[in-house]
Amino acid sequence: MKKKRTIPKKISLEAWSRQFENIPIEVIKRFRYYDNDEWGIYLSPPATFMVYGARELQRLKFDNSFESLRMWGFVFNETERLFRAKQINKKVIATMGDLGTIPVLVFSFPDCVPFYPECLWWTPFFKESTELLDTASRLGLPEATCFSRVVVSAFYKRSYFPKPDLIIASTGASCDDYSCVMQIVESMGYEMMWVEIPYRRSTEFTLTRPRPQDCDKTRDGFIYPKVIEEYLVREYQRVWQRLFKLTGVNNPHRLVETIKKVNRLRNLVEEIKKMNAEAEIAPLPALELMTIEFGNLYGYADFDEWVDIVQGIYDMVKDRVKKGIGVLRKDAIPIAWVTPSADPYLLNLVEDLGCRVVETEYVIRQALTLIEEDIEPLRALARSFINASLIGSTEERVRRIKQKIAQNKIKGVLITNMLGASHCAMETRLIERLLSDVPALSIDVPAPFGINQQIRTRIEAFVETIR
Amino acid sequence: MKDILTPRERFGMLVIDEKPDRCPVIPLITSHSAKIAGMKLKRYYTNGEKMAKAQIIAFETYHHDGISIFSEVGLIAEAMGSEFTYPDDDLPVLKNPIIQDSLNDRIIIPDPKKTKRLPVYLEAIRYAYKAIGDIVPILAYVPAPFTTGMHLLNPEKFLIATLKNPEEIRMILDIVLETTIKFCYEIINAGALPIIVDPLASGSVISPATYREFALPYEQKLIDYLHRYDFDVILHICGDTTPMMDMLLESNADLISLDQVNMLKAMERLSKKMRLIGNFHTSKIMFSNPEEIYKTAGMMVEQLKFAHKGYIASTGCEVPIYAPKENVQAFINGAKEKGWYWD
Repeated sequence: MKKKRTIPKKISLEAWSRQFENIPIEVIKRFRYYDNDEWGIYLSPPATFMVYGARELQRLKFDNSFESLRMWGFVFNETERLFRAKQINKKVIATMGDLGTIPVLVFSFPDCVPFYPECLWWTPFFKESTELLDTASRLGLPEATCFSRVVVSAFYKRSYFPKPDLIIASTGASCDDYSCVMQIVESMGYEMMWVEIPYRRSTEFTLTRPRPQDCDKTRDGFIYPKVIEEYLVREYQRVWQRLFKLTGVNNPHRLVETIKKVNRLRNLVEEIKKMNAEAEIAPLPALELMTIEFGNLYGYADFDEWVDIVQGIYDMVKDRVKKGIGVLRKDAIPIAWVTPSADPYLLNLVEDLGCRVVETEYVIRQALTLIEEDIEPLRALARSFINASLIGSTEERVRRIKQKIAQNKIKGVLITNMLGASHCAMETRLIERLLSDVPALSIDVPAPFGINQQIRTRIEAFVETIR
Repeated sequence: MKDILTPRERFGMLVIDEKPDRCPVIPLITSHSAKIAGMKLKRYYTNGEKMAKAQIIAFETYHHDGISIFSEVGLIAEAMGSEFTYPDDDLPVLKNPIIQDSLNDRIIIPDPKKTKRLPVYLEAIRYAYKAIGDIVPILAYVPAPFTTGMHLLNPEKFLIATLKNPEEIRMILDIVLETTIKFCYEIINAGALPIIVDPLASGSVISPATYREFALPYEQKLIDYLHRYDFDVILHICGDTTPMMDMLLESNADLISLDQVNMLKAMERLSKKMRLIGNFHTSKIMFSNPEEIYKTAGMMVEQLKFAHKGYIASTGCEVPIYAPKENVQAFINGAKEKGWYWD
């Protein structure tokens, strides 16, 4: 279909509804997940999901491209998609805590659909509802726990995803609050396969420094002891065996093919990020960009369809860049965003106040890193995972942020800090201190519907400082 | 047993063909809510905030599974020019239908945001959605074109015209359809799920042939419009729809709300394609006693809750305005008690 390009801008839910009225039914029916005509159609405007309870959509602004509409329709359909997957006898596998690598293994088995329950942490914000958070409190996870505690509520309620056929829970050098969440899920009677994530022990800052010949380097330049790579390979072998037991299929060649497919997506996203950072005018809003980045985790439960959606967005962004058009003002101030905001509205707000997000460090670096294709696949997975954001020292994380700051002429850094997330509480202050010569603002993301005038004023003041 | 899901989560499960903790219980509590809130009916249907507040008070009283924004089926006809009177404590009454002489006389396509009581409904939706839309589905009842048509001219004349001037009736219904779609568009963007109600297309009022000619095609078009948005559409028809039961399947509605029909037969004929809603007799709610209602509601739910595509326990029609509170509560409690799916 030859698509008519509209002038890029951010539009309201109601404006999207008006545009949607002009989309022919044949086009709507063309896009479906799992290739199902009956329930797989997903091209719906934000109003559809608002009617089904996503109240924040009323005040969010969205990119006005058809490609972004398709993306939102797909992303907001995920709960239904997971249930439908189960209904058509696919195996639904919850991968928890590692944020990026275990799903690559899952994809390699036929009819297996991985998903990350922790991505539900956006749900209270999209719904502007404390229901899931309150339920978590009643189930033993009080306010002083990261918003990811909603996962416990979701397992209890069984209405956000079907009962998983397998739960692969990664713990160790990961979010400590989330480890507690996973323990409580297990205590509710769910069987977990535990995977240990090793700590990427820095070779520079420790007294027990390994010998150089015992170390290797990640794609981002972090030196690590090889022993953790070996350890991860063994953990992935265990996961592979468990998936083999679940499916009865053992075809290592599929992993090689999966890695190629995953790399295709990661390449596309990297290119989109690059175009977004380098273009004179931002071609894509921060909210859509964040949604695309997180799609790298597991493709929102239909990987092939997701790749196709991202390809469409890539083409659209390329076209906008070529024409020198975009969604923000030319003088929008480039900033980097560190740690994702649980409240999507904050991304809108920061842009409304004059900023432009050109770089992100959303603790999912491991899902953005290309996987080597010329070595043994499990080892390649391990090596890509070792690039992860949260498994090493804060100093290393900040070094990566600083590199990006230099590359993209970033004027300031915005750090979102999740209330109750003890990891954030510890690390945010450290990041601020280590950034030292770069203006940085940290914001505590409050409970749903809690972004108030005070936060707005602080961002405004920050913008004035870095302008 | 204690509820695990919110009404919103429960409804969400139903429309993706999953069994929720228990079947949803949504009696058609419409204007009855005004009485629960101690409000005169005129205030209820002329003030959106009042309508929403009455519905919220009813929800907090009964803990049922859906908010019903509705008073009566004349509101679109009124916006198109028919004149209604507003008794102080009763529902609006059709005084002068807009079409008196020529069939295509004077009817207009109104702006739903501005005309007559359409904005009242939209305000009620917005208010209720903002207040409790995260935990309860907000359902807005929309009269289907045939029912609205019957309020644009004298109902008797309308029915005679379906025989003598069918083309002109279709022209009127086409305009009504366009109006109804515009209203649905605004309802969606205010946050509610439109529910199509076509009480005057009932088998108690018209023949199956008239239904097929003049009601069904417009129900279909309206439902097609809502399907564009990927909504699961509810169609409610009052009275006895047994004669046109097979035609109901052709409406393409996803959920069918039935009144005076044998639900076991309906389950046999409809439930592979449609989810069933119904059909506790409203006169029992009005005149029976709580113990009897509790028991019979439970029995009804036990029979129907395993309908193939799913089931919502409801009344066959609107809960009578002056129904005793304890009777309504007994229905809800009885239906909840026997409606459990989960261990």
